[in-house]
Amino acid sequence: MFIESRELVMKHKIPVAKTSKYWQGLEEGKVYKTVCRNCGRAHYPPRAECLCGGEVKWVEIDEEGVVEAFTVVYAIPRGFEWSKPYTIAIARFGDIRVMGWAENVKVGDKVAIKTGKDESGVWKVYFEVV
Amino acid sequence: MRVGIIGVGCSKFGRRDDVTIQELSYEAVKEALDDAQLTQDDIELSIVGCVGTRSYELMPAVPINEYCGFTGKGPMRVEAACATGSAAVYTAYTSIVSGVADVAIAIGVEKMTEVDTPTSLAIGGRGGNYLWEFHQYGTTFPGYYAMHASAHMAEFGTTEKQLAMVAVKAHRNAAKNPKAHFQKEITIEDALGSRYITYPLKLYDCSPISDGSAAAVMASEEKIRELGTDDVVWIESVGYGSDTSNMTNRESFVGLKASVIAAETTYKKAGIDRPVEQLDMATVHDCFTIAEIMAYEDLGFCRKGEGGKFVESGESDLGGKLPVNTFGGLKAKGHPLAATGVAMVYEVVKQLRGEAGNLQIDLKNYRALTHNVGGTGHFAFVMIFGR
Repeated sequence: MFIESRELVMKHKIPVAKTSKYWQGLEEGKVYKTVCRNCGRAHYPPRAECLCGGEVKWVEIDEEGVVEAFTVVYAIPRGFEWSKPYTIAIARFGDIRVMGWAENVKVGDKVAIKTGKDESGVWKVYFEVV
Repeated sequence: MRVGIIGVGCSKFGRRDDVTIQELSYEAVKEALDDAQLTQDDIELSIVGCVGTRSYELMPAVPINEYCGFTGKGPMRVEAACATGSAAVYTAYTSIVSGVADVAIAIGVEKMTEVDTPTSLAIGGRGGNYLWEFHQYGTTFPGYYAMHASAHMAEFGTTEKQLAMVAVKAHRNAAKNPKAHFQKEITIEDALGSRYITYPLKLYDCSPISDGSAAAVMASEEKIRELGTDDVVWIESVGYGSDTSNMTNRESFVGLKASVIAAETTYKKAGIDRPVEQLDMATVHDCFTIAEIMAYEDLGFCRKGEGGKFVESGESDLGGKLPVNTFGGLKAKGHPLAATGVAMVYEVVKQLRGEAGNLQIDLKNYRALTHNVGGTGHFAFVMIFGR
């Protein structure tokens, strides 16, 4: 025997003011990392403050990457019902790694970094095998 | 100061449509109190481990505490994703060591089946960094481990068949455990023929979505002497490690650094440098088959890259050099998140006391290990127990 709970819908407002350069960049086809002007450490996901206290600069990631891990998601989570099975990959671009969607990739593949808007309207990183 | 486990309890794991989270908790609590021959009056502090969100009580500690009869004693709620149970044991342990309490109970409970599978996947997929992972890319918990599997297979040639062997072993042991979610054996062909959940992991590579609870009553050595308890399993050492929320910031994808750190810490304290020879058994975090293979390596049961060969060798079977997950592991016993770490303690206590029935291992060293990972190596606890 069951009783149904009252419905609770949660949709959070995520503050992205400090990384707005990144989110705007996606819409312009650019993917940014931050690099500390003081210690030289690169950050991806980008952060506006380096742990050393130094100021960061925004640097576009435009070199070729190499896939280090990937999966094809067949059991689709709530929020992605609109999607067919999708491939998530992690690729290394020099001193940082980036997560993105891809097609027909395997570990070791060389990829180019792109951006795009998915069917739900979210901008993100896509990889294309070179 | 030494801390001992004087009572353990564990509910039946599985789809538990018959109970609320409070009622489920009490099944384990009652068994643990009876096992310790104590009552609620003897407990000074309760630690409630629950990841929550999948069950209807969003702040479950107090309702659980009330139903179990511990009102006014705790509750201290802890959360460390799938390692929440070990976080509860760790917190009870440190509370006793620090003198805050002489007798404490660690409770781990999870009701995961009150929401549907896509919702459960979306909650588990938030077990990393929501904004930079799930929000954009729809990461899922199986997906995180599948990415590790892809890297492990590419670097070391680990095969889908070796992954399947972990599942077959788990189901073989769980078939003899009446509290397990699945009590049936499977074949390699069953496992290899099952559908992909998230490539390269198939249905039988994945632990099920389970409900369950476990509890452990712990006390200081002085209190144990005062109580006159004679069947005690001691916590010899505890180790804890953690890693980044973002997968992109990890050192590698062929192992879990948090496990390595936790193992190094606990081995050093317990004087262990040859775990396969010095331990009688181990419970490792096999939420997915690749996780058990990485655990063999990260815990030093074999060299990095040889986890697949280790399961092939049969050394982790019942009767092998180091039986692993004798009660069926997360894979087949079930993985009610917060219950898992405490259920590992239940398993090693039953084994070390010689009360494991037809799953009983041979005892030589009277020492055993628990390894409990939260998320995909976001947290890890490794503990050594002895009798």
